[in-house]
Amino acid sequence: MAPLSCRLLPPLLLLLPSLALALGPATEELRWPLALGEAEELAEELWGAGLPGDLPELEPECRRLLVAFAESSAALTGCLARRARPVRLCQGCHRHYRLLLAQYGTIARAVGNSSESHNCAKSILTSDRLQIVVTLSQFFNETWEAANCANCLKNNSEGLSNSTVEFLDLFNKSLTCFEHNLQGQTFYLSPNNYTEVCKNCNETYRMLNDLYNNLQRMNRQGGESGHSAHLCIDVEDAMNITRKLWSRTFNCSVPCSDTVPVIAVSSFILFLPIVFYLSSFLHSKQKKRILILPKRIQSNASLVNIQEKYS
Amino acid sequence: QLTPSSFLRIGQLSNVDLNEDVRELETELPRQHPNEIPHNEKLLSLKYESLDYDNSENQLFLEEERRINHAAFRTVEIKRWVICAMIGILTGLVACFIDIVVENLAGLKYRVVKGNIDKFTEKGGLSFSLLLWATLNASVVMVGSVIVAFIEPVAAGSGIPQIKCYLNGVKIPHVVRLKTLVIKVCGVILSVVGGLAVGKEGPMIHSGAVIAAGISQGRSTSLKRDFKIFEYFRRDTEKRDFVSAGAAAGVSAAFGAPVGGVLFSLEEGASFWNQFLTWRIFFASMISTFTLNSVLSVYHGNAWDLSSPGLINFGRFDNEKMGYTIQEIPIFIFMGVVGGILGALFNALNYWLTMFRIRYIHRPCLQVVEAMLVAAVTAMVAFVMIYCSRDCQPIQGSSVAYPLQLFCADGEYNSMATAFFNTPEKSVVNLFHDPPGSYNPMTLGMFTLMYFFLACWTYGLTVSAGVFIPSLLIGAAWGRLFGISLSYLTKGSIWADPGKYALMGAAAQLGGIVRMTLSLTVIMMEATGNVTYGFPIMLVLMTAKIVGDYFVEGLYDMHIQLQSVPFLHWEAPVTSHSLTAREVMSAPVTCLRRIERVGTVVDILSDTSSNHNGFPVVESNPDATQVAGLRGLILRSQLIVLLKHKVFVERANLSLVQRRLKLKDFRDAYPRFPPIQSIHVSQDERECMIDLSEFMNPSPYTVPQEASLPRVFKLFRALGLRHLVVVDNRNEVVGMVTRKDLARYRLGKEGLEELSLAQT
Repeated sequence: MAPLSCRLLPPLLLLLPSLALALGPATEELRWPLALGEAEELAEELWGAGLPGDLPELEPECRRLLVAFAESSAALTGCLARRARPVRLCQGCHRHYRLLLAQYGTIARAVGNSSESHNCAKSILTSDRLQIVVTLSQFFNETWEAANCANCLKNNSEGLSNSTVEFLDLFNKSLTCFEHNLQGQTFYLSPNNYTEVCKNCNETYRMLNDLYNNLQRMNRQGGESGHSAHLCIDVEDAMNITRKLWSRTFNCSVPCSDTVPVIAVSSFILFLPIVFYLSSFLHSKQKKRILILPKRIQSNASLVNIQEKYS
Repeated sequence: QLTPSSFLRIGQLSNVDLNEDVRELETELPRQHPNEIPHNEKLLSLKYESLDYDNSENQLFLEEERRINHAAFRTVEIKRWVICAMIGILTGLVACFIDIVVENLAGLKYRVVKGNIDKFTEKGGLSFSLLLWATLNASVVMVGSVIVAFIEPVAAGSGIPQIKCYLNGVKIPHVVRLKTLVIKVCGVILSVVGGLAVGKEGPMIHSGAVIAAGISQGRSTSLKRDFKIFEYFRRDTEKRDFVSAGAAAGVSAAFGAPVGGVLFSLEEGASFWNQFLTWRIFFASMISTFTLNSVLSVYHGNAWDLSSPGLINFGRFDNEKMGYTIQEIPIFIFMGVVGGILGALFNALNYWLTMFRIRYIHRPCLQVVEAMLVAAVTAMVAFVMIYCSRDCQPIQGSSVAYPLQLFCADGEYNSMATAFFNTPEKSVVNLFHDPPGSYNPMTLGMFTLMYFFLACWTYGLTVSAGVFIPSLLIGAAWGRLFGISLSYLTKGSIWADPGKYALMGAAAQLGGIVRMTLSLTVIMMEATGNVTYGFPIMLVLMTAKIVGDYFVEGLYDMHIQLQSVPFLHWEAPVTSHSLTAREVMSAPVTCLRRIERVGTVVDILSDTSSNHNGFPVVESNPDATQVAGLRGLILRSQLIVLLKHKVFVERANLSLVQRRLKLKDFRDAYPRFPPIQSIHVSQDERECMIDLSEFMNPSPYTVPQEASLPRVFKLFRALGLRHLVVVDNRNEVVGMVTRKDLARYRLGKEGLEELSLAQT
């Protein structure tokens, strides 16, 4: 990141006096804090100005592209990190991501004015071992894929899709409901007694749950070839939180357990084979085999023979 | 009951040497009255006959072989390759069909039951879900069991013992018929969908074998269609080669293991083996797995991806965590020991159960009822286990096909349900690959215990189903349990991944039950797609086999024995050198003269008490100076064809225009020769004479009386003989050695023991 590189500069300068001469006065001008973009640009300019002419220089056009990419990647990173918990990645950062994609696309496509050999794609993306721009963009793409954000955005990735918006509305509604009912509760009640919440918010919660299941089913049917069967992380996480609150914290979903009939039915089923085997043992005629006499010389003696010889 | 003495002199056997013995035999007869005994393992059934792997080299055969020139032989060779390709393709397609139908039907069933359970979890009344599940299972299994029990009983079980016997040279009735294939395929689908503890992999081997036998003959007797192709292959020798290719193709389609398939055929079957055959079998195997792979990948929507080479895919085992270190090898060997012991226990339990079934549950309707009960109890056990389990895991995407929530919190599923509420194949893969912590030890322990008994109870039912997958599943469950407890004990993270222990456990358990060695190692290796696992898997299987063999023999061998099949092992029993051919052989022998009266032939063939299939042919009219030396050997099937075409000496003189009998006439009747009763021979014709010299095999294999049993055995086994004539030094027929004479000597607990023949 740009601020980091600025901070690292002074020790580097000590080692390289010749460069330090050229850069020394300039570093003093750097004042903290600076807008990210400004710092970036400044550093860039310094490098460009101070370097000996024989080093290949980045076209100004390309440099602008690179700076733009750096800015938007910084913005995206910040956005992602800030929205990590509770997860709001797709809702909050999809604009940043789209911008970044566009900028990367421009770099990859852009051709500098001066000559063929100096096109930006080549000089920015592939001219060194590290290829940091490519790595960064790959990282963002992978994160985006893993979060499965495409799933809750519109097809052209402009804004959230209708179903997602609907889901989030419902989600907010149920959260509000929870809050409402919890506040309404008197404090001296035992903390595990959330019956009020369970009763009042049941409808909203059911709706939310059903909507989520519907989304999941639709997703599984529709997008089998494209992305995986996950919904986007925002929706998944929202649902997870709600479910956890509902069944763990509030302890609302108490399924009826009917152990007695289950035991009765299963012991009945278990009883059947015992009856079956007993009755077939007692009543079925045992299958007999009819022995056939072999036609043999000394048929009887042979086995005796063997045993004699070997005992 | 006719005694052997009643047809003693039918063949006009004038053997001076034998007379004393014959008299001795006659005096003994009244004491040994034929008696009835309950079924036991020490019996050989008369039902099973041998296959003719040895060509009958009679004049017709030699003439035909001489007519075929070099180029024609080349076409025959090309035809062999074409047939192998077709075997591969069809086996692959059948496997696809099974897979797709099972997937859809089982999916439907699980969705219905899941919907029902979800509904009743909220409102109460889960006992109805249990009833629904049990009824669904039982009714599906009922259909599967009815078709097997009433239409084609030989389609029951995995079919591997039957194919093993076939390749060993025993003719199991109906084993390679089209009807069997249809029943087998439907039966497998129904029993897997019915939720039994079975797999669909074993039956693929049988299916492949039937397909091979059918294609190579170029006709179907069941459908009464003859395509007039591949007539050259209509004999046991050629058919056997193709059947071994079919079995290999079946293994290959089942596990995505083409090399394993070839080695399976080598290990379990063919006594005759040459490199051309191996290469052809390999070709068939490869084609089979490729067909399955391409069709399934198209079906799953990612054509050209080729990611599902077998019915079961173990998934990929090539990431970092799945690697093993040298230190783990002793642990794996220990797992082999456990697998051997558990496998022996499985086999011993199954032995008692099978014995009980043979003795008491032999009526088809009882068998159907038993299968239904097992299905219902399987569902019940699964339900109760899921019901009682409190092991909840968060849902992670779509890794679980049918997540059952039951009493878990919202957003979580019951972990026991991943193991029970699923087809066994999927459960195996889940046990291999689910991340550590997906199952708690209690769940795994209970699952192993229950599934062990269920699988043991299920194998041997009258449904067509295999034992591979249940064994793998049991092994994977306790292997995973073992892995978890190991990482718990050592508190180390190096051996953290329980997946590889699940794999080793699966290998150990399967090895302990079926006791296959080479082929199973390669199958497992190919199924995991990781060659470095070869060494530990080999060690595990080796240990499991050694430990298991100490207690009880392998499941397939056990079932072969319980079916009273005259199975010949690789070698004669080790302590049998003292026995000579004279003691082993059957005597006296029903012989035919070279020019024989038709009436005599008919009488011999229709004698129900002696269902002989081969008859030595002796010189027609021995006088004082000339003894009735052996001239050749003729088979029952040949005699029947001769009688059917009325190839009598008198008729030949009567009408010269009559067509000469060709080898084709024998082939057309193959393999279902009509019974003698269906051939009408008039009273006049009975007086005619029949000349056998052209049709008999003039050079049968013979041994002197002094030959030892191992020597006779070696000759018999290596050449795939059906009849071996014992002669004295004047070339007179003294006795006959057949498969049953050799198979009855077996190495038991107290040394060499002799099995008795029985009518079953």
